[in-house]
Amino acid sequence: MEDYEVQFVDRSERSARFVVRPITPAFANGIRRAMIADVPTFSIDTVRFIENSSVMFDEQIGLRLGLVPLTTPPGEFERGDEVTLSLDVEGPETAYSGDLVSSDELVQPADENIPIIDLKEEQRLELEADAVLDVGKEHAKHQGGVAVSYRHLQAVEVVGDAGEFDDEEPEILRGVIEEQAADAAVETGGYEPENGQLVPTEAFEHDLTNRYPGKDVEVTDIDGAFVFDVETDGSFSVDELVVEAIGTIEDRATELKESIQL
Amino acid sequence: MMVPVRCFTCGNVVGEHWEEFKHRTREAEDPEDPAEVLDELGVERHCCRRMLVSHKDLVDIVAPYQ
Repeated sequence: MEDYEVQFVDRSERSARFVVRPITPAFANGIRRAMIADVPTFSIDTVRFIENSSVMFDEQIGLRLGLVPLTTPPGEFERGDEVTLSLDVEGPETAYSGDLVSSDELVQPADENIPIIDLKEEQRLELEADAVLDVGKEHAKHQGGVAVSYRHLQAVEVVGDAGEFDDEEPEILRGVIEEQAADAAVETGGYEPENGQLVPTEAFEHDLTNRYPGKDVEVTDIDGAFVFDVETDGSFSVDELVVEAIGTIEDRATELKESIQL
Repeated sequence: MMVPVRCFTCGNVVGEHWEEFKHRTREAEDPEDPAEVLDELGVERHCCRRMLVSHKDLVDIVAPYQ
C-alpha cells in the first residue's frame, strides 16, 4: 500500500485544514464525497407527539429536531440502529436541544443551545423521538461533514522584479502556499520565510505583494498535493470523520476486489 | 418564525448562536457591531452569517392567534 504524507495547517475538534500528498484529483474527490455522503451519523427520524400546543405544527418541530446534530461515536453502532430521545417542556419557556433526554449516554445533542420552539403561557411540548443511524446519501440531515472541500496546494515562483513604474495592484490568492522562494519573502503573520513551509494566505491577507514586496511572481499548482478544508457538525471530531471516510472507501474497494475474483 | 437550526446552504449549525447574537447586537445596552459578534462566534462564511443577520423572531407576533 502506498504511503501518504499528511501535514496539518490548522487543527481543532470541529474544523481542520491539512495537506495530503501524493494523491490524484480523483482520489481527493473520492475522500471528499465519502466524508459528505458515506459516514453515518445519528439523526431524529420519527417523532411521536404526546402534546403539542405550541405555535408550530408537529411537522415543523419534527423537521427542526431532525437537524439537531447528535453525537455518534464511531464503531459503537450499526447502520439502522435506533436510539430513543424524549422532550418535555412547559411554557413559558423555550425548548432547547439540550432539553432532549437520551436513552443512550453515547448519543447526546452535540449543541445544547439550539432553540427548538418558544413556548408561551399554557403551551406545552411533550414528545418521544427515534434517532436512526444512517448516511448522508439517504438524507442530508445525516451528513457529518459540513462544507468539506479541497484545492491544490500552490507554489509561488519569483520570476523577476516588479517594474519600477508599475501600478501597485494587489495579487489576490486564496488557499495555502508552500514556500519555495524564501529569499524574496518577508515575514508575515508570524510565518518566517523558510523553504518548504506551508503558509495559509490569511497570513498575508491573501495579497502576494505583502509577502513578496517588489517582486513579480507566478503561481503554480503543485501536482498531487491537495489542501483539505474539513468541518463537522459536532457529531464527531474531524479526525474521526476523515478516518471513517477513508474506511468506507477501503471497504468498498475490498468488496469490489472480492466480487470480481474468479 | 424560529431561527433556522442550520445554514440553508452549507449545513453548519447556526441556531445555537442566535440568542447570544440577538442579545449582543440588539438587546444589550450598548449594541456591538454584528460583524464583530459573528467573527467572535466563529460564524465565518457569508452563507451562515446571512442566516443570523436576516432573521426575525415571529413567535411573539403569531402567539395571540393560536
